[in-house]
Amino acid sequence: MAIDQVHDLQQVYRKVLHSMSRPGTISSLADNAKKVDFNLSCFHATFLSAMTFLDAEVTFHILSTEQQSLIDKISAYTSSKYAPINEADFIIILQEDTEESIQHAFAECKNGTLIDPQHSSIWIIESSTLSNSGELTLTGPGIQHEARLHTSLSSSLWQARNERTKEYPLGIDLIITDENAQVVCIPRTTTVEITGVS
Amino acid sequence: MKTNTHFAFFDEGSKKEIRRAIMKAVAIPGYQVPFASREMPIARGWGTGGLQITLSIIGKSDVLKVIDQGADESVNAVSIKKLVHETTGVELTEQTNKASVIQSRHRIPEVALTEDQIIVLQVPMPEPLRKVEASEYMTKRMHAEDDYSGVWLMLFEQIMKYGKTATSADHPVYVNGRYVMAPSPIPRFDNSKLHQSEALILLGAGREKKIYAVPPYTNVESLAFEDYPFSVEVFEGKHCHLCGSTDVFLDELIDPETGETIHQCNDTSYCIEQLNKKAEAEVQTSYA
Repeated sequence: MAIDQVHDLQQVYRKVLHSMSRPGTISSLADNAKKVDFNLSCFHATFLSAMTFLDAEVTFHILSTEQQSLIDKISAYTSSKYAPINEADFIIILQEDTEESIQHAFAECKNGTLIDPQHSSIWIIESSTLSNSGELTLTGPGIQHEARLHTSLSSSLWQARNERTKEYPLGIDLIITDENAQVVCIPRTTTVEITGVS
Repeated sequence: MKTNTHFAFFDEGSKKEIRRAIMKAVAIPGYQVPFASREMPIARGWGTGGLQITLSIIGKSDVLKVIDQGADESVNAVSIKKLVHETTGVELTEQTNKASVIQSRHRIPEVALTEDQIIVLQVPMPEPLRKVEASEYMTKRMHAEDDYSGVWLMLFEQIMKYGKTATSADHPVYVNGRYVMAPSPIPRFDNSKLHQSEALILLGAGREKKIYAVPPYTNVESLAFEDYPFSVEVFEGKHCHLCGSTDVFLDELIDPETGETIHQCNDTSYCIEQLNKKAEAEVQTSYA
């Protein structure tokens, strides 16, 4: 069964919005992911997130250089244009991407200006299974006390992310997806502390 | 000819653009994200900002409540409810705790909101600095530079003139310690409900083309001076003439027959709920 561009994407949007307004809260897109019947080299949750946010008015970048067919498919399905890393509104990081290239992407991507902090990139980044028992302690708006999170991103990547969000309101907002169609969001306002070993 | 409208009135492209603006608004609490406000079948200034947010987020399983200055049955609320219902088929409710999306003009309901709810507020003037600076470019720069002296001066001048801050409604707030935000013309009584709210708060200004948000569990502080602390409307010794509630926001009315001043709950669904509870208790005691 194909995904319903109206209702499935609305449901995905609300789940992602719920997670974005409550950093560390894991939402499941499993019901909608079941309907993804394309053969794609990314997680279903990554594809659904891209379908939800991309259209002809925004640009995206896929870090991997070996993913021309995924770029073509996302462009074809959403009418969104591919752009270099320093211009893209959405940056898609796949699981195969190397630590070094992601580090570079963190440094290069746009994180807004003081007058227009919304002119920043939103990352859709793949991780191995997400869980709420992990090495990260999250605090900030949307979190009552603190939240715990486990992702497969290394502590040096989190440091790179923290570096780019230091000058609030400048920053980048992350939508992290996993292979079980789960998503969790880390907006720029969240303080991410690496408290345990990953 | 009656055309069949698309689900939730908007085309998918419009929804996507508004949804992206909401995401950025949530990520930068209190910052006004510009968006391409659409022409709506209601006039600008009648809740088009709120309506555009509602239509962009609503889904088939949502339950919608719309209030206009506390009332579920006022013309504005009814028209908006009809439009959303006719284009989506969502269930409508008047009970605050049954709604998943609440669109409101100038009030936050008396009943505490929960984690599963989203409240959408209609905003006429999103820019708290507009009274002190007419240029949009300049106000954007002031926000960028964290320069809020203008809004402090405005409050100071009110104290000099009237002996107190005379904002009555739309009293400016600091969100997450960074942006000064217009909370929409809610009474000062409701300002505290923004602070560490359980529900997500989205604000939409259609005419001014801005969307902003207060995520849940976010610090929201009303602007005040040390020697002139923030104060809310007090209704000491007054109660609702219908249900008898005392700790709620009351409207002052004049009884057309006796000419006396009476007070009534502003939140109509809360008032009816209290009356129903009383009636139920009466029935139980009289037939017990």
